[in-house]
Amino acid sequence: MDIEAIKINIGTEIQDLASLEALEELRVKYLGRKGVLAELTGSIPGLPVEARAAFGQSVNALKNKITLLIEEKKKLLAAPAAGGSAERVDIGMPGIVHEPGRLHPLTQVTREICAIFTRMGFSIIEGPEIETEFNNFTGLNIPLEHPSREAFDTFYLKADHRAPTTDHLLLRSHTSPVQIRVMKEKKPPLAVVVPGRVYRPDAVDASHSFMFHQIEGFIVDKNIRFSDLKGILEFFAKQVFGQDILMRFRPHFFPFTEPSAEVDISCVICKAKGCSACGRKGWIEILGSGMIHPNVFKHVGYDPKKYSGFAFGMGVERIAMLKYGINDIRLFYENDLRFLKQF
Amino acid sequence: MKLTYNWLKEFVDITISPQALADKLTMAGLEVTSLEARDGDTVIEIEITSNRPDWLSVVGIAREVAAVTGKKLKLPAVSGYPVTRLSGYPDLELNIENKHDCPLYTARIITGVTVKPSPEWLQRRLELIGCRSVNNIVDITNYVLFTWGEPLHAFDLDTLSRGSIVVRRAKMGEKMLMINGQEKQLDPGILVIADRQKPVAVAGVMGSKETEVSEKTKDILLEAAVFDPVVVRRGRQALGLQSESAYRFERGVDRENADLSSQKAVALIGESAGGRCVLAKHAGALKTPGKQVSLELEVLNSLLGVVIEPARVKRILISLGFKVSAKSKSVLTAGVPSFRQDVCLDRDLVEEAARIFGYDNIPTSLPAFVAQAQYINSSGDTDFIKDCLTSLGLFEAVTHSLVDDAFLRKSGISQAEPVALQNPLSEEQGVLRTTLIPSLLRCVAGNLNQNQGLVNIFEVAHVFSRAAGEVTEKPVVSFVLCGQRNFWLAQGRLQDEMGPLHVKGIIETIFSRAGIRDYGFRAQENCPEIEVLIKGECAGKIYMPRKDALEQFQIKNKKVFAAELSLDKLFAAADFKKRFKALAAYPAISRDVSLVIKADVPVAEILSAIKEKAGALLRDVSVVDCYQGKQIPAGFKGLTISCLYRSDEGTLAESQIAPLHAAASEVLRERFSAVLR
Repeated sequence: MDIEAIKINIGTEIQDLASLEALEELRVKYLGRKGVLAELTGSIPGLPVEARAAFGQSVNALKNKITLLIEEKKKLLAAPAAGGSAERVDIGMPGIVHEPGRLHPLTQVTREICAIFTRMGFSIIEGPEIETEFNNFTGLNIPLEHPSREAFDTFYLKADHRAPTTDHLLLRSHTSPVQIRVMKEKKPPLAVVVPGRVYRPDAVDASHSFMFHQIEGFIVDKNIRFSDLKGILEFFAKQVFGQDILMRFRPHFFPFTEPSAEVDISCVICKAKGCSACGRKGWIEILGSGMIHPNVFKHVGYDPKKYSGFAFGMGVERIAMLKYGINDIRLFYENDLRFLKQF
Repeated sequence: MKLTYNWLKEFVDITISPQALADKLTMAGLEVTSLEARDGDTVIEIEITSNRPDWLSVVGIAREVAAVTGKKLKLPAVSGYPVTRLSGYPDLELNIENKHDCPLYTARIITGVTVKPSPEWLQRRLELIGCRSVNNIVDITNYVLFTWGEPLHAFDLDTLSRGSIVVRRAKMGEKMLMINGQEKQLDPGILVIADRQKPVAVAGVMGSKETEVSEKTKDILLEAAVFDPVVVRRGRQALGLQSESAYRFERGVDRENADLSSQKAVALIGESAGGRCVLAKHAGALKTPGKQVSLELEVLNSLLGVVIEPARVKRILISLGFKVSAKSKSVLTAGVPSFRQDVCLDRDLVEEAARIFGYDNIPTSLPAFVAQAQYINSSGDTDFIKDCLTSLGLFEAVTHSLVDDAFLRKSGISQAEPVALQNPLSEEQGVLRTTLIPSLLRCVAGNLNQNQGLVNIFEVAHVFSRAAGEVTEKPVVSFVLCGQRNFWLAQGRLQDEMGPLHVKGIIETIFSRAGIRDYGFRAQENCPEIEVLIKGECAGKIYMPRKDALEQFQIKNKKVFAAELSLDKLFAAADFKKRFKALAAYPAISRDVSLVIKADVPVAEILSAIKEKAGALLRDVSVVDCYQGKQIPAGFKGLTISCLYRSDEGTLAESQIAPLHAAASEVLRERFSAVLR
């Protein structure tokens, strides 16, 4: 056999081998007692004397090369597969992990909503849960003795005889008092969202709770228009409920906005055709909104001729219930881990 | 407000279906909440917003239907009763004590009526909207109320002492048996209608049983008045009554409608009960002073973000009953009708135009809003805490801030004085909580009942208390740990029982991430609480509630560990500024010390003794093992402490460390009689 031919072929021959057994076979074939190289060595005596030394050296070089290649291949075959263990993995066994906890679904929804607005340049500002009558009612153009207040039934704090106060303290019945706080402190332009807890003396059932969460938002600047309110709220609702929802803005009444609008989205189940989920209406109310009333601006010292703005408010529980298909508001406050682990 | 499709058709031509009408009304701000076909008619129920008392009548809604459908409102001419007093009939004195309480009082006396059941059409119509038929007189007053929006009241004239009607505040001690059979104690906050001797009605709310119209009634006094909304509201609330009349008076009735409605009622009474109107009197002005509101069209267009043609705006306002004149090309002046007391500003006219033009016809845009230079996120701090705790395996809970005072005390945790509510729904939600831990313990109990083996939960919320009369509201974070965490590891399953050191570990992680380095823990003698100190000041506590306290929460045979930290104090000390420190240039050498020491020697003292002796090259010292058991005598513990030495000058040689480490070990022997191993 031709030494040069062996040199050329041996490389690919070894590379193609897949097991240690096959490698051993190849070793015997070339380097074994009756192997190719032994045969070549055996042929030396039959060569002309002057050629023997050179031929012997070539055979030796070939032998060294083959030995080296076999050793390398042996190491390669014995090594474990890339990244894995040589042993078999039963991937059906439980994964090993330190399980993190989870945020409450109300926090998750609050963050999602706030994030949509902060991407548009809104700031997040919170306020206290104990409020004054002025911030909760009067400043927002809600007369203390008017039926419009009935939508805002309120828990009052028991007065303390030690601290006679001029303004009654109460638990805020909406997040809107933060509008008053922020506007009294800062000058326009303003774009703010206010997440927080609010309280109303409602008897508890599947859709009512005496404590719940709201997100308030408002913009004040020169030339803020009703069409801007529509644009911002449409962008928001489509981010939360999907691009294919339908929306409608219905005239409504809130003392602190005018014109006011309630915003409905098409029922996610029947797509505005009417089904049992939406009470056959086809529409589901998600928030209240409107152009900030000039009287509110007067209360905080803004010139209603110079500035305009809009405000909106929504119930976080309501949005979360719609989004996740939760049918009982009480589940939010029971904190059953089987519930919390679903979100 | 309930009404029917056919009833509306008496005042406006409707050519669309009830459903199409309902949709149009809803989109104009009169939200139709139900439609029900009954007896060849359709009952429509509408949610009326509190600013629009004029919509609390069929005529008011018909006006709106006309505006949204482009039809004309059809109002029948008033077939008035010009009679003021028939000759020979004794006069009636109307005595209004306070014009503010009662700006207008009209009275008509009708004699010789026959009280009997109402004609069938009237009975059916009232019944369709859920109003019980009583007799022809009472039904007519109700019919006029629902049709025209003016509450009327009919008295049996023979039960009144003749000659005088007084509208006055009730006197202390006066009582009245109401038409609904309830007896009410009156007081001077309540406005009443009275004869010479006694109160006969709570003004605008309800009449007395004694003076109500019955089958025996022959002569009636028909009242149509305007009362102050606040006084009516106070009286109704004080007496715990509800009525259709009060509902309208509280929202404001149309003064110019009172006398007309009375005349309409007289006409209807004449038709169904006979009788003759012998006297008509009034006290107070029948007309309201006219009001004008101007609207710059440019203001309207720029506020809405759409251009509505001036002619269109004018047409809309006229259809709603405004008398519109054009001051100039760009300014309209609207004479406000008496039934629209809610309209005061140009903004009110903008709303009317927008409503009828249709919100759907206003485009969407995005404001050319210049973002504030400084973005504020006041919830960033609570976000940080919540993310920290969830990453450590805790679940976030949200619990009620209103709790039972007794429940708050059960845990034995808080000594602060809670803030009580003046009008709680029940004792169970009577006070604002001073700590979140009892609420979280309740969640633990609920979850243990569901056979949860591990309940690690937290809440971030405000706590409230009263100190020296001042109410305070502070944010806190609280968490509770209970049960066993199961780790499935390569070596198999490991169980990790929650304990106080888990609480400590969580607090230290929060502090470390918040850049708080100067902190400590202070255990108190005989107290199941450990103070958490930041810069030497108490910022919260670790709690290990006693067995009996836990049993109060229905937690049995379980230990619970809790902590509550003040977020104000935490964030005052927090330092989120991050600074890079050069990575160590030379390798560190680690040396362990193993020792047996009395079990009650605190680890903190041992570590500080080592630090003191080993000097500046000691970069870190920590306990890597702690054991008690067979090889260790009773009352002792075995500790392995790892010391890490490093220099910034060069690689440390064994000869540099050996004396330091020997000194550090030696001090343990000397100071704590430790046996080194």
